[in-house]
Amino acid sequence: MQTLLDFIPRAYAASKTTEETHAAPGISGATTTAPVAHSEAPGIHISIKAEELFRIGDFPVTNGLFLSLIILVFMGGGAMLLGRKLSLIPGKLQNAAEAILGGTLSVMDNILGSRRQSERYLPLIGTIFFVVLFSNWLGLFPGVGSIMLYEGNPPTGGAPLFRAPSSDLNFTLALAIVTVIATNILGAVAIGIGPHIGKFLNFRSPIGFFVGILEFVSECARIISFSFRLFGNIFAGEVLLVVISFLLPYLVPLPFYFLEVFVGFIQAFIFAMLALVFIGMAVQEHEAAH
Amino acid sequence: MNELLSQLGIDWRLLLSQAVNFGLLVIILTFFAYKPLLRLMKERERKIKEGLAKAEEAEAQLKEAHTLKIQKLKEADAEALTVLQQADARAKAFELKCVETAKQKEAELVANAERLAKAEQEKVEQEMRREAVTLVKEALVKTVELNPKAVDEALITRAVEQVARANK
Repeated sequence: MQTLLDFIPRAYAASKTTEETHAAPGISGATTTAPVAHSEAPGIHISIKAEELFRIGDFPVTNGLFLSLIILVFMGGGAMLLGRKLSLIPGKLQNAAEAILGGTLSVMDNILGSRRQSERYLPLIGTIFFVVLFSNWLGLFPGVGSIMLYEGNPPTGGAPLFRAPSSDLNFTLALAIVTVIATNILGAVAIGIGPHIGKFLNFRSPIGFFVGILEFVSECARIISFSFRLFGNIFAGEVLLVVISFLLPYLVPLPFYFLEVFVGFIQAFIFAMLALVFIGMAVQEHEAAH
Repeated sequence: MNELLSQLGIDWRLLLSQAVNFGLLVIILTFFAYKPLLRLMKERERKIKEGLAKAEEAEAQLKEAHTLKIQKLKEADAEALTVLQQADARAKAFELKCVETAKQKEAELVANAERLAKAEQEKVEQEMRREAVTLVKEALVKTVELNPKAVDEALITRAVEQVARANK
């Protein structure tokens, strides 16, 4: 069967996955049996899926998950640190956090139409935005994708220790599923469970029934569009940077790095805004019903 | 389908762990960042609004106080003028009264002085009269000592005249 990897030009992505058993150096007590992707061309390592670093029992820990855990610790720790130092006269960190939060709320106000609604949905939308943003930008950090774990002596194969979570479909798909489920739950809370399910199961007329099926299909399509849009953009950006860095390593990749910083922001913004628009639609239906 | 998912690296366990990661982050950020920050921002906004309202109130009060001050100053000026006028009038009245009193006292003093002078004059006159009698007496005594007969004759003459007048 032709795989997705076969569509990536062989010059910089002629890779295939191999099942290898290796000990992950640097991570104590971790042994892994993992599919590791490596390129045939020396110096380039491109894998469409996140590589397994080690296993905890039967649970595989991939480099994408590893970095997303680091993001969890980093953001969670930062939030706790910020939460402890809050005061009416803000410091630099609190000032920056308030400015960012204020900006986010202003953007949300434009879509939802009221500050109360914005504050209600801020935890979900804000977290989506910041998680995706950090996931995108951390992929551009030096060391991400370039620090490799090798096994054996002499070392062979190898997998990057870190991988941007946004270039791992598990992350983008999980985020998309959570977003769509959350949108439906919030919609049900807003207009009631019956009317909300009635959007998908409408037996009042054949057209209504068909529209209901379309609604359901559109929900599934949202999951796919959410996840693949983010994954495609970030993964493509990483591939672009790898190839440019391989072909012309000095100065030339710099504009592309700036481009990827911008793309990372835009993708996070798009993801959060689409989620917000879907939630907003549910809320507006609720308001229209009253 | 399984092969496609495998090629894309999709694993339900990883999906679930990523979803749990995200859920944890939502909870942590909500309770440690969003809610406290929003509460604080609202609190600050409320305080700023209160402060602005108080500032406006204080400004209005200041204006009122300024107006009141000007009004009070005007009133004080007017009152001071009245007090001055009254004091002036009282001073003039007092001056007149003082002059009157002084004149009365002057008259009394003059009268008293005249009375004293008159008494003194009378006293001096009596003294002079007494001295004159004494002198006359002394003169008579000396005269009698020089010529007692002449005195006797004069006394006899006088006694005769008195008897004669009494007999008439």
